[in-house]
Amino acid sequence: MYALADCNNFFVSCERVFRPDLNGKPVIVLSNNDGCTISRSNEAKALGIKMGDPYFKVKDLAERCGVAVFSSNYALYGDMSRRVQEVLRSYAPGVEQYSIDEAFLDLSGCEGLEFDAYAKAISQACLRLTGIPVSVGIAPTKTLAKIASKLCKQYPKLRGGCYLHRPQDIEKVLRGFPAADVWGIGRRSSAKLQKMSIRSAWDYTQLPETTVRKLFALPGFKTWKELRGVPCIEFEDLIEPKQSICVSRSFAREIDDLPLLSEQVANFAGSAVAKLRKQGSLALELAVFAFTNRFKESAPQTYGSQLVVLPEASSDYRTLIQASLEALKALFRPGYGYKKAGVVITRLVQAEDHTGSLFIDSETQEREGRLSSAIDAIHRSYGRESLLLGTQGDGHIRMARDHQSPHYTTLWEDIPRVKVK
Amino acid sequence: MQPHPTTDLPSGELPFMGEVKAGFPSPAEDLREKLDLVKLLVRHSASTFFFRIDGVSMVDADMDEGDIIIVDRSLSPFNGCKAVCFIDGEYTVKRVEIKGTEAVLLPCNEKNTKFKPIHVGADNNFLIWGVVTWIIKKA
Repeated sequence: MYALADCNNFFVSCERVFRPDLNGKPVIVLSNNDGCTISRSNEAKALGIKMGDPYFKVKDLAERCGVAVFSSNYALYGDMSRRVQEVLRSYAPGVEQYSIDEAFLDLSGCEGLEFDAYAKAISQACLRLTGIPVSVGIAPTKTLAKIASKLCKQYPKLRGGCYLHRPQDIEKVLRGFPAADVWGIGRRSSAKLQKMSIRSAWDYTQLPETTVRKLFALPGFKTWKELRGVPCIEFEDLIEPKQSICVSRSFAREIDDLPLLSEQVANFAGSAVAKLRKQGSLALELAVFAFTNRFKESAPQTYGSQLVVLPEASSDYRTLIQASLEALKALFRPGYGYKKAGVVITRLVQAEDHTGSLFIDSETQEREGRLSSAIDAIHRSYGRESLLLGTQGDGHIRMARDHQSPHYTTLWEDIPRVKVK
Repeated sequence: MQPHPTTDLPSGELPFMGEVKAGFPSPAEDLREKLDLVKLLVRHSASTFFFRIDGVSMVDADMDEGDIIIVDRSLSPFNGCKAVCFIDGEYTVKRVEIKGTEAVLLPCNEKNTKFKPIHVGADNNFLIWGVVTWIIKKA
């Protein structure tokens, strides 16, 4: 049995934990640089504000209707996500964080449980302990668990938890569930389905196996099986120290300028190194990737990635940021608008198992080590953005974030203030 | 950004001053244990939050301007506990009295009569945000 825990309107919910006065009121959160709407409260959805709406388009409506507007505050969202994950870990032996606001729980071996009550208990624990409302769906497969969690959002009387397992219930739910909204059915598959007049998830499960295999290949076949109650998407538990670290982000606007893109990539590399150092690992390889907006069919498309093999296992900020910038330079093609980029550091070894190289003099290494430790210490005390290296984004600071809330949980200067009466 | 006093170290780690090299090995060399304030003060890291006392409108409330209080949302309010509440659009520390199934919010100092008791539950204008577990104050 699997559970999917999905935080409701996550970024908005994080803001509301510290602003209870905004409960029941329309709230939106904007993407980097206050570009577009990336999280909406139910009240904001009711006003007709759509996901991805550019801020300039909804600004008037927001002002007229008293919508509370926030710039994104990733330090806060990351910390609240960590808290929700911690609560989830106390309910299942295995937890796979799927995104900042979603996690799968592996409930195999828990067969004796009252799953419906369990789903509701998980949801209520998350709300009470962290303040974040979470929808928990439990079902025999990950794909069905995802559908069950969506039902919780649709039907408040489920009180945040739904156990979907009886064949007759599954049929009824799938008949009312659009095939295009099923996890794993991409844009291209749903276009095909539309041509075939396959509307509901149930219709999809009724296609013959051979048709599914032929038209939708292996991923589509897996989804088909999962909808029919046969688990076949593996569980990836990430409790072990990570074997690779990836930091990537989509940009609010396409970037076609190398210095600007370098700034972003240096930032990603900086965050990746911070994570690497936190788990006490060294990296042997690093890759940078960047691609254009594949949804913008009129624009020229490119995808590039570049691997760098480091001369020596390292967790040094300067070494890894420098390597990532060289990789970016190698893959960058002028004339393309890059929409997303990222840094992946791979082939990790634990620092304590590592014996130094013969070819790099230990004095240089020691100096680099001391510098990186000093950077860590400053980040710990003053926050991630307090100290940046050369190319690393002052772009970060120039970014518009006129409506950002305080870093309530990650900076001492920003913790909420309380009166005694 | 304002620099803040070093007593505000967030990670619970004490600043490391470097190793002292002495003539003979310390008998405690293999014992890397140290007292961890965070372990003492934060029982549930998922549900623990920090607040700073901003305004005190009474004396003898155990809390002074600038103190940091630790708040644990996992604890159910119990009779006599202090809790961070959200009242009329602001955070206020109150003393909670449980009367049957009802919670009543009272001023932190029993002798204070300036603030009337508030009954929680009648409407949603008042909520108990979390129970205060520690008060950290500078000596």
